[in-house]
Amino acid sequence: MNQIVSIGTSHHVAPVEFREKLAFSDEQLIESLHHLRESYRVHEAVILSTCNRVEVYAVADSQQTSEAPIKVIMDFVSRYHKIGVDTLKKWSYRHHNLGTIQHLFRVTSSLDSMVVGESQILSQVKEAFDISRSAGGAGTILNRLFPKAFSVGKRIRSETTIATGAVSISYAAVELAKKIFNALEDKTVAIIGAGEMSELTAKHLVANGVSKVIVANRTYERAVKIAEKFKGIPVAYEDDLNFLIDADIVISSTDAPHYLIERQPLAEIMKKRKHRYMFLIDIAVPRDIEPDVSKINHAFLYNIDDLEAVVASNLKDRQQEATHAEQIVTEEARRFHDQIQILEVNPTIKALHQQFKEIAETELQACVDKSELTNTQEAAVASMTQAIVKKLLHHPVTNLRHSVNDGNTDHAQYVHAIQELFALNEIDEKDQE
Amino acid sequence: MHFFFLVTVLVYLAASIFQALYLTIGERSETPTLRPRIALIAYWATCLGFGLLTLFIILWWSRQGHFPMTHWTDSTAFFAWANTLVYLIVVRLTQLRAIGSFVIPTAFVAILISYSFSGNEATLPENLKTYWLVPHVTLILLAYAAFITAFGFGVLYLMAEKKIRQKAHTLFHNLLPALGASDELGHRCTILGVILLTIGVIVGALWTQYIQEITWRWLDAKVFLTVVTWVIYVVQIGIRQLWGWRGRKAAYSEIVGFVAVLCTYIGVNLFLDSTHTFR
Repeated sequence: MNQIVSIGTSHHVAPVEFREKLAFSDEQLIESLHHLRESYRVHEAVILSTCNRVEVYAVADSQQTSEAPIKVIMDFVSRYHKIGVDTLKKWSYRHHNLGTIQHLFRVTSSLDSMVVGESQILSQVKEAFDISRSAGGAGTILNRLFPKAFSVGKRIRSETTIATGAVSISYAAVELAKKIFNALEDKTVAIIGAGEMSELTAKHLVANGVSKVIVANRTYERAVKIAEKFKGIPVAYEDDLNFLIDADIVISSTDAPHYLIERQPLAEIMKKRKHRYMFLIDIAVPRDIEPDVSKINHAFLYNIDDLEAVVASNLKDRQQEATHAEQIVTEEARRFHDQIQILEVNPTIKALHQQFKEIAETELQACVDKSELTNTQEAAVASMTQAIVKKLLHHPVTNLRHSVNDGNTDHAQYVHAIQELFALNEIDEKDQE
Repeated sequence: MHFFFLVTVLVYLAASIFQALYLTIGERSETPTLRPRIALIAYWATCLGFGLLTLFIILWWSRQGHFPMTHWTDSTAFFAWANTLVYLIVVRLTQLRAIGSFVIPTAFVAILISYSFSGNEATLPENLKTYWLVPHVTLILLAYAAFITAFGFGVLYLMAEKKIRQKAHTLFHNLLPALGASDELGHRCTILGVILLTIGVIVGALWTQYIQEITWRWLDAKVFLTVVTWVIYVVQIGIRQLWGWRGRKAAYSEIVGFVAVLCTYIGVNLFLDSTHTFR
């Protein structure tokens, strides 16, 4: 009977010191996949190795307990990376059949990720699967399991909101800008002062269509230096804030001890720019922009705390939505598990039918040869034989199929028993090839 | 006919409820999967209502034998139709479905008025049986629909602006259009309304002057109020061009304009005497 197992480690269970020891490079992946098949009698395998997780998914044949294939994979990993089995056990998780399916679906849905809803993991799993496929590692089962996992991942991202809402300050700023301006295409952003955060935000804004960047600094030289990164326009300011007339989005992060942009001067500037909207982001501490600025019509001011609150609430929403996503995963995993198990009993059912049919045909022929039957009589006997075969097989086949969906019965035992009792093994093996 | 009209009214009721739900349900983050379904139901219910209403107006027209525009039933039914038409065009062009939350309930109220008056049919005076009436009335009612859409965008603007200023975290859940979008579309609808209204009034004036040979009656209540409405909108557009009165001020003036439209359209018929009074 085929068992789908997985063992893995991730940021949830192990520190980076351990994860890095388990990591596989691309060449190691291909080598390992071959190794697993040839020396460990594993039919199919996919190895996923990212900075947050290392996981081995495998399909192995085992009539014994579910532990056996897991042990085989553990042996392999522990020998390959020269780590004691006990250590490996301590820092890893192991799944079996339904558990494996569910775990993989959670991974591709990013429910197991550090930031729920992130999109990177889906392409990482796809890459791992592609490598395995090109190395001949994926067969009947994994070739169904992984594509299904990708579609579950996509379904969850489109049917739930786990992937919506900015979860970093710079993206929150971009989303807010979109809520104000709608399209960012012909907008201008002004960065005042230097800083990683303001540069990152400006970068995201440019990626979202902002066409012009003004870089303002106390000294012209520094402004030029930062402006180079964005092909921006460098501006040196003293007390003259006139460069703001063109700015639709202002990101301020200077280390000035006092307010740089005050209400009265900004109101003048707003008049000069014909009251077009201005979105001001103050990420400096102490603040650069007088809070009263937000009282000016069409000027919208967000400071670092406001943005952090947006991010926190988005994270909370994603977490809430994750419960809903988990339900979908469980449901999908169960359905897929049933499908796979039906696949497991199908060859046996087919073999059983084949055997009965062959016996019936042989005996029918013998009977026809011996006795002189009219055509009508021959037809009657033939149809009776078929009916007997059909009726004899009805209960065993129905119950076998039923055992798959019924959690209480172990269909593997049934399959095993039928194969033994009816001596189906030879036919079955032929069939699988 | 009566039953058919009732069905149309009920479809509009359903469409209004779903349109209103669409805007409010987004506030609650636990119902994200419901939202697209509601949006879809609201949209198709509106389309269905529009189809039924179109059919009803055609049937009504052929039954009366003249352009149906002088009775409460005719006028409000056509007004509802014009509203829906403008909504469908806006949604097709911009995907901003939130506007339906204002326009479709307005259409529903109009069609409800129409339904409640539909029992008593009036005969049309001979002098109004003319094709001049068709562009005059059609254009002006389309202009009203454009103004009501502009009003809807004005309210959407104010709602979104309030949320942005309050830094409300529900800002990202709801489906309010961006400030820039509401502002721009409100402005465009206003311009469209002014153009339609201007042509409609000119047609009416030419008709009375040259065809009917009646002197233009400035003191006709409806004419007077229409001029007031027209001035409000034209001034709004002018100030915007000159001094950049956009956003909140534009939204307020769209609301004032909407009140003027209501006075002109409904108020005159209820409280004042005019040659335009419906019978």
